[in-house]
Amino acid sequence: MGAHISIPMYQRAVPQRYRLVGQRCGACGKINFPPKAVCKYCYQGTSFEDVQLSGRGTVYSYTVIAGGGAPPEFAAEARCKGSYPVIIVELAEGPRVIAQMVNPPEEGIAIGMPVKAVFRKIYEEEGVIRYGFKFSPA
Amino acid sequence: MESVAIIGAGQTKYGDFPGLGVKELFAEAYLEMLQSVDRGLEQQRIGAAYIGSLSAGSGFQLGQLAPLLMGHVGLPHVNAARIENACASGGYALYSAACAVASGKFDLVLAAGVEKMRDVSSSKGRYWLGVSGDTEYERLAGSTFAGIYALMAARYMHEYGLKREHLSMVAVKNHRHAVSNPKAQFRKEITIEQALKGVPVAHPFNVWDCSPTTDGAAVVLLCNAKIAKEFTDKPVYLKGFGAASDYLAIHDRDSMTRLLATRKAADEAYKQAGVGPKDIDFAEVHDCFTIAEILAYGDLGFAEEGRAQYLLEEGFTQLDGKLPVNASGGLKAKGHPIGATGCGMACEVFKQLRDEAKEPSRQIKNARYALSHNVGGSGGTAAVFIYQRGDA
Amino acid sequence: MTKSIISGGVYLPTLRIKRDEYLSALGSCSAAMREKTVMDIDEDVITMAVAAARDALADLDVSRVGVLTLASTNFPYQEKALAGTLVEALGLDKHVLTSQHGNSTIAGTEALLAALGLLEQTEQQYALVVVSDAPTSGPDVDMEHGFGAAACAFVLAKDEPGLAFEGVYAQSGETMGLRYRLPGETDIRDIGVKAFATLDYNEMVKAAVTGLVSKLNRNLADYRHIVMHQADAKTAAALAKKMGCSDVQTKEGSVFADTGDIGACSSLLGLCRVLESAASGDCLLISSYGSGSGSQALSFRLQAPLKNSGSFQARLEDKKYIGYIQYLKQKRSI
Ligand SMILES: [Zn+2]
Repeated sequence: MGAHISIPMYQRAVPQRYRLVGQRCGACGKINFPPKAVCKYCYQGTSFEDVQLSGRGTVYSYTVIAGGGAPPEFAAEARCKGSYPVIIVELAEGPRVIAQMVNPPEEGIAIGMPVKAVFRKIYEEEGVIRYGFKFSPA
Repeated sequence: MESVAIIGAGQTKYGDFPGLGVKELFAEAYLEMLQSVDRGLEQQRIGAAYIGSLSAGSGFQLGQLAPLLMGHVGLPHVNAARIENACASGGYALYSAACAVASGKFDLVLAAGVEKMRDVSSSKGRYWLGVSGDTEYERLAGSTFAGIYALMAARYMHEYGLKREHLSMVAVKNHRHAVSNPKAQFRKEITIEQALKGVPVAHPFNVWDCSPTTDGAAVVLLCNAKIAKEFTDKPVYLKGFGAASDYLAIHDRDSMTRLLATRKAADEAYKQAGVGPKDIDFAEVHDCFTIAEILAYGDLGFAEEGRAQYLLEEGFTQLDGKLPVNASGGLKAKGHPIGATGCGMACEVFKQLRDEAKEPSRQIKNARYALSHNVGGSGGTAAVFIYQRGDA
Repeated sequence: MTKSIISGGVYLPTLRIKRDEYLSALGSCSAAMREKTVMDIDEDVITMAVAAARDALADLDVSRVGVLTLASTNFPYQEKALAGTLVEALGLDKHVLTSQHGNSTIAGTEALLAALGLLEQTEQQYALVVVSDAPTSGPDVDMEHGFGAAACAFVLAKDEPGLAFEGVYAQSGETMGLRYRLPGETDIRDIGVKAFATLDYNEMVKAAVTGLVSKLNRNLADYRHIVMHQADAKTAAALAKKMGCSDVQTKEGSVFADTGDIGACSSLLGLCRVLESAASGDCLLISSYGSGSGSQALSFRLQAPLKNSGSFQARLEDKKYIGYIQYLKQKRSI
């Protein structure tokens, strides 16, 4: 049993998940990601312009999910790797986002290290592969 | 606004009860609450009931859990509703009940919480827990609740030099406190060496940094303070109650070393009660993970942000310290039956402020003000309560 | 209209397994690569395709891409095209013309040829060709020992200097080849008659290559690099020698020793490798091969250095070795 995100719900978020499309607030100019209906910075803006984020950023914080503690839909991945890292990335454009890290350095993850977005399989539900971004050391 | 008093409180023992379902757990807590009303209660006077629950009985009664439970204890017609804010469901039930009394609409209102967590496979259990965060982002990053709090811990360590040992000090303290609490799930001391070396869960956490899965229920009876003395000479006054929210997803929050929901809820509660952090004699805080108690010290004003770890080093929050925190054992060792937790804290405070902690070793003496603090998930919601003893 | 490859892109998974791991785990290894590329558990041909395409598009205006062709023998769906996944992942124009090629290792050059044709049908300047492959079988199948994973991508442009396409020659027929796969099966089947399959490969590829050279009034010696489809360590090199090619001509386009058998990607990844060192004026020849179809040979001439020749060498060097047990875990065999 896994977290249920329906296929249509997933599909509606494809621009964010596949290529990190953010929104620039028409009122204050700041970049929201993931998208909001009202800008999270000025609480005013409701019109936004799509912006392609660079996918570059730095590690703001990190953890390593141990195999036994993984959510059921990530159990196979945890079994394969023993554990996997999850990080908060501070993107170059400002927003922070949570995601998995791939190819973590052997010496360990450090807060502040540069990372870049990569396109990976996130999980599978209803037989459909859910693709999206993870981050790798840059 | 009317003043609010607590005149009864009851809870099940927290733990693993394969023989008890959600109805039985609730009934046990309810009947203990009735017993605790010194001069007895004509049950039908109860005007409303708010019942906190996340999984609604392991998902068996997803809708209308509240009338199901009320019908089970002979109150089929009471105005009853389920309240859900993940781990703060019980706290929000208490908050809602307090507001209902304060409004003047009802004289007697039940606040309750119940969770049946040990009925499901561990995989389904992890499913239930994980979906109270931001499912679209946090969950799909492969994270768990432990993972989210671990991210906060790693950041706290980075910003403020918190050590792995400080996390374990919380676990050791709360396990020690639980030893003499007959309601607690784990009544066994652990050593700092043990606490440092548990099975890894989510770096930097090991299993000793995490609260357990627990079955349990807690029920609190609130009344208009004007009529409190009809029922008891020792009411406990709910002097302040605050609740607030924050972005559900941790990546949307400005800071990961504080919970803004707690800060806003605490401000509201302190202001209403007319007291400050220094007036608090003991507190039950939301230590779902060890870092959560450390964050709470800062957010509730017991320490400056970034200096919470020194309270632990000084023993400030031990049972014999200046400000005992989680004398019950906390979520960590008393147990964490999600929806019941917020009301279970109120039960502990009720007993302590009436000098009824039973085991003399755990009775906090001469306490006048107490605080309880209940957090939903990783801080998407929080509720804070300030209590004053009523027999003085 | 001249059509040229103006940019290339490469993706090789970071994980590698050495042939020695097979030797120590199984006592033998049926493939003679030195090591091979292994997809991580969260990778498939689509994630590799996106990485290679992003590499190729690095310095280009993606809104000018009017064609997307895609090839693999191992798409994750039997029904549901994957071109749309790439369109979204790369942020391509919504009016892009797409085609998807599979079923045989010849699919890679098919996709390149399709892009050359479709480029005539768009007002846009560029066509993007993405070839990503990872042949798969259970660990109990000998052929599996050689199976690697890789992706490459090319941007074709109208009338821009680069690697100009000169011509193609095909040899098609009922070519059994060595392998096939039935609907619903995840494992490739081996006909088990290696000598017959080699004969088939030799005849088909030779006919395509010699046909192309003669069509263009050239000699094989005119080509600086000749890149063949490499399903094993020896067959391609032996045929090249037989056709009169020198080691110098075939050496740089060899990838099998480093990646293993990468299916539809084989000669195109070889092309990416030679592009890193090719000089203006060089003629390059590539030939593909696939069971059930035959061979296609394509001729190119480098007129000007590419905008971006891809990151073959960087990808080759960025690696992490795994043992055989971990390899089986990656493949979800255990
Ligand atoms: Zn704004």
